[in-house]
Amino acid sequence: MGIGKTPPGGLPGHHDPDGRYLSDLLGNAGADAAMAAAVAGGGLPPIPGAAGSGGLTNAVDWVVGWARANSLWPLVFGTSCCAIEMMATGASHNDWARFGLEVARASPRQADLIILAGTIVEKMGSRLITLYEQMPGPKYVIAMGACTISGGPFYYDSYSVVKGADRLIPVDIYVPGCPPRPEALLFGVMKLQELIRKGAWRNSIVPRPINHSPIKDEMSETARLWEEKEKLKQEGMKEAQERFKADNPDFKGFVIKRIAAPKFDEVARVPRPARGISAAEMLAILTERFPALTVQSVPEASGEKIAALGSEYVLDAMVGRDDYHALVAFLKTDARLRLDFLIELTAVDWKDRFDVVVHLQSIEKGHKVFLRCALPHDAAPEIPTLTDLYSGADWHEREAFDFFGIRFAGHPDLRRLFLEDDFPGHPLRKDFQDPTRVVKRPY
Amino acid sequence: MPAPSQQSDVRGEGYALPPGFSLRETRADGSQEYFLNMGPQHPSTHGVLKLVVRLDGETVVEVVPHLGFIHRAIEKMGENETFVQYIHLTDRMDYLSSHINNLCVCMAIEKAMGIGVPERGEYIRVVVSELQRIQSHLLWWGAFGMDLGAVSAFLYGFKEREKITALFEELCGARLTMNFFRPGGSNADVPENFPARVKEILEDLKFSLDEFDVLVSKNPIIRERTLGVGALPRERAINYGCSGPVGRASGIDFDVRKHDPYSVYDRFQFDVPLGKHGDCYDRYMVRMQEMRESIRILEQAMASFPGGQYRSKEKPAYKVPAGSYYANVETARGLYATYMVSDNSFKPYRIKSRSPNLSNLSAINEMSQGGKIADLVAILSTLDLIIPDIDR
Repeated sequence: MGIGKTPPGGLPGHHDPDGRYLSDLLGNAGADAAMAAAVAGGGLPPIPGAAGSGGLTNAVDWVVGWARANSLWPLVFGTSCCAIEMMATGASHNDWARFGLEVARASPRQADLIILAGTIVEKMGSRLITLYEQMPGPKYVIAMGACTISGGPFYYDSYSVVKGADRLIPVDIYVPGCPPRPEALLFGVMKLQELIRKGAWRNSIVPRPINHSPIKDEMSETARLWEEKEKLKQEGMKEAQERFKADNPDFKGFVIKRIAAPKFDEVARVPRPARGISAAEMLAILTERFPALTVQSVPEASGEKIAALGSEYVLDAMVGRDDYHALVAFLKTDARLRLDFLIELTAVDWKDRFDVVVHLQSIEKGHKVFLRCALPHDAAPEIPTLTDLYSGADWHEREAFDFFGIRFAGHPDLRRLFLEDDFPGHPLRKDFQDPTRVVKRPY
Repeated sequence: MPAPSQQSDVRGEGYALPPGFSLRETRADGSQEYFLNMGPQHPSTHGVLKLVVRLDGETVVEVVPHLGFIHRAIEKMGENETFVQYIHLTDRMDYLSSHINNLCVCMAIEKAMGIGVPERGEYIRVVVSELQRIQSHLLWWGAFGMDLGAVSAFLYGFKEREKITALFEELCGARLTMNFFRPGGSNADVPENFPARVKEILEDLKFSLDEFDVLVSKNPIIRERTLGVGALPRERAINYGCSGPVGRASGIDFDVRKHDPYSVYDRFQFDVPLGKHGDCYDRYMVRMQEMRESIRILEQAMASFPGGQYRSKEKPAYKVPAGSYYANVETARGLYATYMVSDNSFKPYRIKSRSPNLSNLSAINEMSQGGKIADLVAILSTLDLIIPDIDR
């Protein structure tokens, strides 16, 4: 997705062998560099701007660091799964108040620590930068979980996830895990406190803006390097083993007992009984009114053919664009059918056509029906909206517009639902490509 | 003095509302409406949801939600992973119902491949799903209390929740993102002490639920803030596609476990709690009742917990025949469905997850109109939203 650029010398923090998290993050000269040197040396850093660095300033500094470390005010910021573990860290069992962390603030203007709990996506990225800028210095950032470290499970194939929050704002502590346990987060907090006590702080560093340039697959690169290292390790091990054998010629070796993997039998699947009226009956009712209707993957469908498909089969009807709206209205209002509940509305891109897929259910009787309507594969295929029948169709149609670019004629408010208005293209189309956002899975 | 900006002319001729707003202005007393942003970073939106609220004084005129602040492209990613690999992505959608989401994907694969599940496997599925439902409702209960200003509820809720979390950790090694169920059963058998542990937890829980009722359900402040607030009539709830506790509070008698039973739910006696008015208090009470019903199911399941193999013969990957497959389950938030289209390969051609939260949230404009801005917090809280499930 190309947010930010890797600074010279690799990404900050987790590539730093000395663990100097707060050091030379953006290559800033001056205060930061001096601080980094002091932290690395284990001594207390001089206060920037203070004349000299006598014993008194150091003592004051020590007190300030001690006070700061024990009264961190975190911002309430959780985007996804990690937020639950962050809540668990704050709640009864783990109780982060033990570390002076309990004053969680809802406003960034009152906070000095931001725990990035959860994935950061592109749309949230600019908001995160704003939040960071609104925090008064000195301020600290903990990246919690794999997503904020590198994109984690969403590194490959995702067109919206920021591949590491440190592409946007500087990060001090990385807590790995998916999600990390509360103990891991507490460990991260303790590490941060250690750094703060040493006197490392950051006042204001300009966050990096979103930069759309093609991105390099750093994860595969790291995996390759790791494999090379592993190979070297294995060779070393082999040598050591041979040496051990030469030194101990009597050694017979350990007897390794393996637990046998359990063997399982195949189990036959028991089909469920049908609810409401059967698919064959429904087909009869529908073809009576709409003779042009066909059934997906059942050519020349008849009542017997449909009944032979079993009780679990749900009628998958194909309807033309002209009949589409009238058919759905019929399904909703007909007294025998009463399909009043819209489960979902989505689309499938078949490369030569789009299928708009509608799933309906009857709350009263329990039967379901699936509908498809084929649309030509062009830039802006159009189909009538269902919002006049189902209020819930509003967002489903906006989602289909967002993902596939299908227009719903008569929709009251057809905007993108999830992505930014200026997002190029419609991502769930099969021909969607964007090397500035997507890292293709190498396997 | 700077010239007045164009925006300030709220009632002028050429005034256009921000995107999404549609109600016409009706007031004639000369007072002005204003717009307020809630989120995406806001403690009571439970994640990164943004609500733009149109206010007349303190009264809500219209609410327009903005989504996509945690849209992670899970459906697109699913197209490049095998069917079984998609299971772990569903953990990260509705992470408080992760076991139940996993189950839905497994059920769709089972339907496609004709895989059956042994008796013990089915019981494990039901027991784990119900524990997950209780766990999710406990977290909701704590967060609900905190949203309305009762921090003790948060601590009490987490105290109970942590016991179930510890049990899940023994079961599958994870506290939140489980990745436990597989087509044909589950990843592993339950530990030996599992039935005893479940019984222990249920005993504690029964006591705690009574305690919760005293602490919050009968609390006059909580009742004042939820009774009659954010009502959604039954017809409108159906029209919006609301399901789960939100739909049932409005009187929709629909629970997938009861009305389209999967696994072995049809073997157990349990009731589907229904509300009458569809207000915040009904939504609250439905969830409290549901926890008790889940305990009933668990007690019956533990009483007849069978032995034998816990899964059927496994395969590392499944080549799914061309066609489309659908499976639905009842998560802690409502009807969750997996719709997968295969073109006879190891990877889905298109995979879609139906999010109960998306439909439940879409009714928020109707629920909150005419109420106060503080009521909006109560409504959001009783909708029990998980934003990553909406955005996917």
